[in-house]
Amino acid sequence: MSTFIIGFDLLLGAGLLWLAWQALFHPKPFAAVVHFMAFGLVMALVWVRLEALDIALAEAAIGTGVTGALLLAALGRLPNGATPRLALRPWQRPPVALALGVVLLLGLWLAWVAWQLPRPGLSAEVTAALPESGVRHPVTAVLLNLRALDTMLELAVMLGAVWLVWSLGPELRPYAPATALPGLPALTRLLHPLFLMVPAYLLWRGSHAPGGAFPAGAVLGAGGVLLLLADAVPWMQRPDRQPLLRLLLSTGLVLFLGLALGGLLLTGTFFAIPVAIAALAILVVEVAAALSIALMLMACYLYGEPGR
Amino acid sequence: MPPILAAMLLLACATVGLWRIWRGPTSVDRMLGAEQLSTLAIAILLLLGTRLAQPALVDVALLFGLLAAVATATFVTRTWTRLHEAQRRPEEAEGD
Repeated sequence: MSTFIIGFDLLLGAGLLWLAWQALFHPKPFAAVVHFMAFGLVMALVWVRLEALDIALAEAAIGTGVTGALLLAALGRLPNGATPRLALRPWQRPPVALALGVVLLLGLWLAWVAWQLPRPGLSAEVTAALPESGVRHPVTAVLLNLRALDTMLELAVMLGAVWLVWSLGPELRPYAPATALPGLPALTRLLHPLFLMVPAYLLWRGSHAPGGAFPAGAVLGAGGVLLLLADAVPWMQRPDRQPLLRLLLSTGLVLFLGLALGGLLLTGTFFAIPVAIAALAILVVEVAAALSIALMLMACYLYGEPGR
Repeated sequence: MPPILAAMLLLACATVGLWRIWRGPTSVDRMLGAEQLSTLAIAILLLLGTRLAQPALVDVALLFGLLAAVATATFVTRTWTRLHEAQRRPEEAEGD
């Protein structure tokens, strides 16, 4: 069995490289996007083999599901046919070569630094701090308590992405599909309960096993995208609901900031969560973050500011 | 050994799916190839989960199953639109 597993790993690695190459250099944009989606699938399998189940969950939800859907929808607005080949003007060549060189050097440097990292890493320290974090799963402890600042800044980055997409102009009306789709509303109605149940399950699991706010938010967001496709969430586009939408979008970040400032008030350290309330506080922030992540993904999917 | 046989069969199917994604020729072929890969990934994950005694892999398989529906729904509603049908020239009918 072990030789078979090694062969399977080698196949996964080779397939990953091939899919990445095709996703970057296939002449047809649609084919490149489908290769990218397949890349996300294989990447999730690779994370599973590396025993990083939390990342596998996030990759399956965000890399394959939501990003694939975003790219597919963007393709629908582009003209058909092959992309023109990249043609650089003479004055563009030196800066492009310089940028490539810098990226290559930085990549090599990063690889060197990663090679020099102390092994086995910080897992012993995380395990030692686990009883004081309020959760039993080390990844959730790192994300929501020990390095909560990073997670908060990730939410800020996502909010910034929504801001950027909305700043491009008013929301785009989708084109009519090429065929009648009588099954779509039924599919949405049947599947959406599952898209609510699975995130709840992932959130609950996050305290003691792989799961947590990011995969849960991504699955919830994917369910929301399905609703958007079937035109089942008209409130997001209504002008009088925009304050509510903006409030919900920022809830995750605001609660996170509140947690950080509460820690500052109670213990004198930014983001120090007292052990007594850690479990409850983490749960509240996780639920809020998952809801915000889901809405932010849906908001990106509108391709512009709604209600304008 | 049945599990190894099953895994080899699944990997062979995945190769066919990958070839379909790469070759096309229409966008529907590529999309269905991706869906096939996603189904096979679910089967591979479940097989791995039992072999390696990692029950959490069932969760990853669950996500794959749910998100495949979103990809297909996006394809039929947003990518395969009337605009693209109208733009398609006769000589491109085989392409995407």
